Amino acid sequence: MKLWLGRAVVLVVALLAWEAVARSLDPILYVGPSRLPAALGRVLSVRDLPPLGSHLWLTLGEVVAAFLLAVASGLWVGFVLGLQKTLGRIYEPLLAVLYAVPSVIWYPSLMLFFGLGPASKIAFGFLLGFLPVTLAVLAGIRQVPESLVTVAVSMGAGPGAVFRKVMLPAMAGTLAGGLRTGLALSVVGVLVGEVLGARAGLGYVLTYAYGLLMTAEYAALVVIVAAAVLTVDALGALVEARVRRWAD
Amino acid sequence: MTAAEAAPIVVEGVSKRYETPSGAVTAVDGVSFTVRPGEFVSLLGPSGCGKSTVLLMIGGLVRPDAGRIVIEGEPSSGPNPKKVALAFQDPGLFPWRTALDNVGFGLELQGLPAARRREIALGLLEPMGLKGFEAKFPRELSGGMRQRVAIARALALDTPILLMDEPFGALDEQTRLLMGEWLVGVRRRTRRTIVFVTHSLQEAIALSDRILVMTARPGRVKDVIEVPLPFPRDLGSPEVADLRAKLWGQVREESLRAMESSA
Amino acid sequence: MGRLAVLRWQALSVAVAFLAWEAAVRVGLLDPLFVPAPSMVLHALPSLAAEALPRLLDTFGKTALGYAIAAAVGVPAGLLLGSRRLLHDVAMPYVVALYGVPKILILPWIALVFGIGLSTAVLSAAVFAVFPIVVLVAAGARDVDPTLVTVAVSMGATRGQIGRKVLLPAVLPSVLTGLRIAMVFAILGVLLAEMLAGHRGMGYLMQRQAMAFKAPELFASTAIVSALSVSVVLFLEHLNRRLGQWR
Repeated sequence: MKLWLGRAVVLVVALLAWEAVARSLDPILYVGPSRLPAALGRVLSVRDLPPLGSHLWLTLGEVVAAFLLAVASGLWVGFVLGLQKTLGRIYEPLLAVLYAVPSVIWYPSLMLFFGLGPASKIAFGFLLGFLPVTLAVLAGIRQVPESLVTVAVSMGAGPGAVFRKVMLPAMAGTLAGGLRTGLALSVVGVLVGEVLGARAGLGYVLTYAYGLLMTAEYAALVVIVAAAVLTVDALGALVEARVRRWAD
Repeated sequence: MTAAEAAPIVVEGVSKRYETPSGAVTAVDGVSFTVRPGEFVSLLGPSGCGKSTVLLMIGGLVRPDAGRIVIEGEPSSGPNPKKVALAFQDPGLFPWRTALDNVGFGLELQGLPAARRREIALGLLEPMGLKGFEAKFPRELSGGMRQRVAIARALALDTPILLMDEPFGALDEQTRLLMGEWLVGVRRRTRRTIVFVTHSLQEAIALSDRILVMTARPGRVKDVIEVPLPFPRDLGSPEVADLRAKLWGQVREESLRAMESSA
Repeated sequence: MGRLAVLRWQALSVAVAFLAWEAAVRVGLLDPLFVPAPSMVLHALPSLAAEALPRLLDTFGKTALGYAIAAAVGVPAGLLLGSRRLLHDVAMPYVVALYGVPKILILPWIALVFGIGLSTAVLSAAVFAVFPIVVLVAAGARDVDPTLVTVAVSMGATRGQIGRKVLLPAVLPSVLTGLRIAMVFAILGVLLAEMLAGHRGMGYLMQRQAMAFKAPELFASTAIVSALSVSVVLFLEHLNRRLGQWR
């Protein structure tokens, strides 16, 4: 009980401080929380801004496409490298190197190749989401206890059965975690793509408002998108927790 | 000076209560005993009987809610590194320090110069069979070795009193027996007063001059048993067998009670 | 399979990939306007180097600055959050939530307020890098083995001694890990800022090359920045290993 009170206090203090700072500075650049509800209304009423609904759907579609691609290829590559030990020894370090490269480096090349349409955003989201899924599959396979596999084999289970009945359930938790991270990163990838150069989508609406110096509407949009992203991740966390509980 | 005043440790009617989510729990209830100079006393009892709490109170790490502890004639009010040193079940070695630097830690706190610390530490590690390991990190040592380093660290403070909380509890049986023999040797050489917490009858009989049997929670002193046998002790002798039977009779009752209350 | 054999296979795979890429462009499978052949990229490299060098220094200079700010703010904040139970339980959910919000969303605003150039990029790097530092350092501070503190207390250590001789060394590995991970984020932040609102630095150059369809130059730039980024990270990992020999 005390905890929730403490958290509420922190939130209120932060909002008050934000408001105070925003009011003392240039209102064109700095927007306090008090201006947000009105700005939100303006955003939703589609007066000076493009219709949020259709752009939201586009972004959602891009995220889903990117995520599905990332999961499919991530699982495939992950299992190939994870189950085929020699292939894994050769190619996993190469994958790890990719992790050290900041993802945004690929963006100009992808934009060059795919243009400014949804394809480049999907490509970017796919690129970002692919790696966590692959790494999670590899980690998941590694942490399956040898003893479990031994028990199954001693009971006469063939490789297919061992995979389905022992490995998959044992790695379910780690896999779920990887998928959740992959989803979060696919979302980021798509959004970054839309902000850097697009003609449609949530990121585009954001830069539209910013370009016209409609800072209040821009702030409201940031809050909406941030809330949406956090909700998606929270759902992902819920699914992951469920899977982990079932797997144990 | 009377006999009581010369005693290194006097525990007078100490009690300790803890607040848990399910209500207040009395861990220790009115425990009193005196430890004689150079004596090896074991606190024996089932898990949760408060023996560790009593030890921590003697060490000044836990404050009694009632009663008091007197160390060498002075009431205890906190950690007393000049008089009391502790060794725990978890060796608690600092993983970023070598064995040598771990042993010298207490001396470092007191401001002793490095050369002197090194000298003392090496002097303690060698008779423990750890010569050549002083530059190793805890990660490179076995469980038994780590515990020896931890005890050496406690011995380095050169305190008259040594408190040990199930120090060999995490070791396998062979190592435990060997460590027990080693501790007997250490004690013979250094003549310190030792209070030793254990739940093993074997250990208590092998090492102690006197055994305090504690009840299940709330912990009280159930019985005090003298062990007047000479060292080194023949664990197969009829005296030991008698003692074990007697002890088991006491302890079994309390163990059952402890098991039932936690079920 | 021995280490040498693995390395040989890796080198072979990379070589084969490049050869296949080259062949695909020559044969006409890939349009060189969008995907230039490796030979064309190599050819563009020397002339690019002259233009790229000052921009590289600019980009990595901003990264270093932003990174330093993130560390200066993040490490103490993480230590504070990790060591005080109440503060941690109350404030941590907010930190984690902010960590989960894509920072790209506020980048346009930073550009708006701080303009095109140095401050935006440095601030962007700092904002991106500070979160992993705080989270990892806080976790490290929380995970300090309490037995170690008990041992020190039982030996009469003062608060200062406990902080210096126990807490600090215990927390160091987490701090180093956080700093290592934050580096990639800092580079990311700078490049993003340069692409969105910059007029110097590699990010800006790459964006311009893309707009002008100068594919070989773009790929060459991408290669250079990737190589440097990987080197920095590998160096930090090496440092991490050297300093953490006792683990």
